[in-house]
Amino acid sequence: MFTRGTLLYIAQRLVLILFTLIAVSFLVFITVHSLPGDAFESDRVHGQALQLLLHEYGLDRPILVQYWSFLVNAVQGNLGVSFQVRGLPITPLVMRELSVSAELGGTALLITIGLGTTFGVLAAMRQNSWVDYTLTSIAVIGYSVPSFVLAGLGVLIFSYFLPNLTNGVISYPAIWSGTYGTLAELSLPAIILGFYTSGQVTRITRAAMLEVLQQDYIRTARAKGLKSRVVTIRHALRNALIPVISILGPLVISIITGSVIIENIFGIPGLGKEFVESILAADYNVTVAVFTVYALLIGVANLVVDLLYTVVDPRIRY
Amino acid sequence: MAAVVAPSFEEYAGGTVARAQVGLWRDGFRRLRRNRLALAALIYLAVLLLVAVVAVFWTPYNPATILPNVLTYLGPSAAHPLGTDELGRDLLSRMMQGAQISLIVGVGTSAIVLTVGVTVGLVAGYFRGWIDNVISVFINVFYGIPGILVAIILYLVLGRGLGNIMIAISATAWMDMARLVRGQAFSIREREYIEAARASGAKSGKILFGHILPNALGPIIVQATFVIPIAILTEAFLSYLGLGIPEPLASWGSIASEGYAALPLEPYMMLWPALALSITLLAFNFLGDGLRDAFDPRQRR
Repeated sequence: MFTRGTLLYIAQRLVLILFTLIAVSFLVFITVHSLPGDAFESDRVHGQALQLLLHEYGLDRPILVQYWSFLVNAVQGNLGVSFQVRGLPITPLVMRELSVSAELGGTALLITIGLGTTFGVLAAMRQNSWVDYTLTSIAVIGYSVPSFVLAGLGVLIFSYFLPNLTNGVISYPAIWSGTYGTLAELSLPAIILGFYTSGQVTRITRAAMLEVLQQDYIRTARAKGLKSRVVTIRHALRNALIPVISILGPLVISIITGSVIIENIFGIPGLGKEFVESILAADYNVTVAVFTVYALLIGVANLVVDLLYTVVDPRIRY
Repeated sequence: MAAVVAPSFEEYAGGTVARAQVGLWRDGFRRLRRNRLALAALIYLAVLLLVAVVAVFWTPYNPATILPNVLTYLGPSAAHPLGTDELGRDLLSRMMQGAQISLIVGVGTSAIVLTVGVTVGLVAGYFRGWIDNVISVFINVFYGIPGILVAIILYLVLGRGLGNIMIAISATAWMDMARLVRGQAFSIREREYIEAARASGAKSGKILFGHILPNALGPIIVQATFVIPIAILTEAFLSYLGLGIPEPLASWGSIASEGYAALPLEPYMMLWPALALSITLLAFNFLGDGLRDAFDPRQRR
């Protein structure tokens, strides 16, 4: 399936990802450790007890030594222990939260692509009509209205004005029952998160579709008597989707950014909520772990997108 | 001092030139004026700027003062057009201060990004070689790391304050600008007029800022405009999480967060910052799109 050149390219990219992970984790490690206060401040331990505690967690060693031991452990899949919940291993914690975030982010990504491509195609088919203007306006509104504003309004509407419509699933303040929530609980945050990024997809799809529709092979397909729907879907859409794949990488980044706030508003126990909580609690190890996992996620997502590109468009080779 | 006056272009050309030369700015603004959405956005932003400037000298009440004998969570009334917040502070005054904060953070961050991104990008694109390699590897390594996460950590480390929030947001935002300028410098340095400037003995600094920068200005202006809404959104984001502008300063993000906490009691309180933020971000995005069409026609999508 992959040529030798492609494999070489993948290897290069993996090295870059590894390099990124080391650089990012190092910088974050150094930075969070220079935060004022320490992880045990809120426990009100002082003097010798504090010294013992710091020693137990290896926090009394020089910072570079601490980072080195973090790195050695991380390579073996051990991301250290939490300070806040003393001694709790971080790797299983982060893996569980990653799966929760993936559930939310994956659903949002599907909504984004579905909504964005549909809107983009419809707008392009009816260029410069009211359909076009309405859909492109919705797209601009989508990425101009902050997701926390939409989330707040969503909770307000469904918990306050229309509680009967949803059988009281959306409550105020919004909470998430169990680790993975229910389908009903997932829907509102996923739609809001997906809507926010769908505007970018609408724009790209519309522009690409408009360009493809002017191509000669579309005219040929029409001329030989194919139905309009067949031309649109089989000939135009397939080629218009290539630029959409190119923004999948930035899309994943937008969804991760958005999920940080959405998870905090809706009380979803994912990586984004953990990130904010850990940094406020000075639980350094968790912060570094979550950040590194995010960096890995983004690196891999970008690589997958680039490879997907070669599959969809055989003209592209690495 | 009697000096030799160089003959004008008309004299060289042997007659008047048909079309008067129009500079980048006049040409751009002429095209921008035809774009109604961008024009409306510009007018809205001018009004917002006016509100922010007025708020320096005058607000209906002191935005930080807990007013005596005033109920908390008041709805809109004649005395308090937007109502009062959870401590009985006047929301109109706080929203005006919020406009100030948003604009300062947006424009300030954009200025930092411009300074750093343009300089780094020009140096990398013009000198190439090892400088370019170092800068490019650095940017590639950190490309795609979500700015909000970096901003949260950096802001807490630097300490809370208006200047630090701008630095924290710029920490990742400058890279996109640097990439853009690097690419521009890369292609412009091959043009003949740069060769001519170098042949006539111009120094590197003069070529960079006197010849390459002016010719790359269109895309740079567009990019700098798009940094503003990103910075405003990030600040509101941070303030919403309680990690932003310190109390008692009011930010649209923190008012929205307090409004969310008071949602069942007073829905209006969430509504004002929600509207203000949405319309402002919309306006900056429309303006950015308009500027792209006006100054950078090749990039039109």
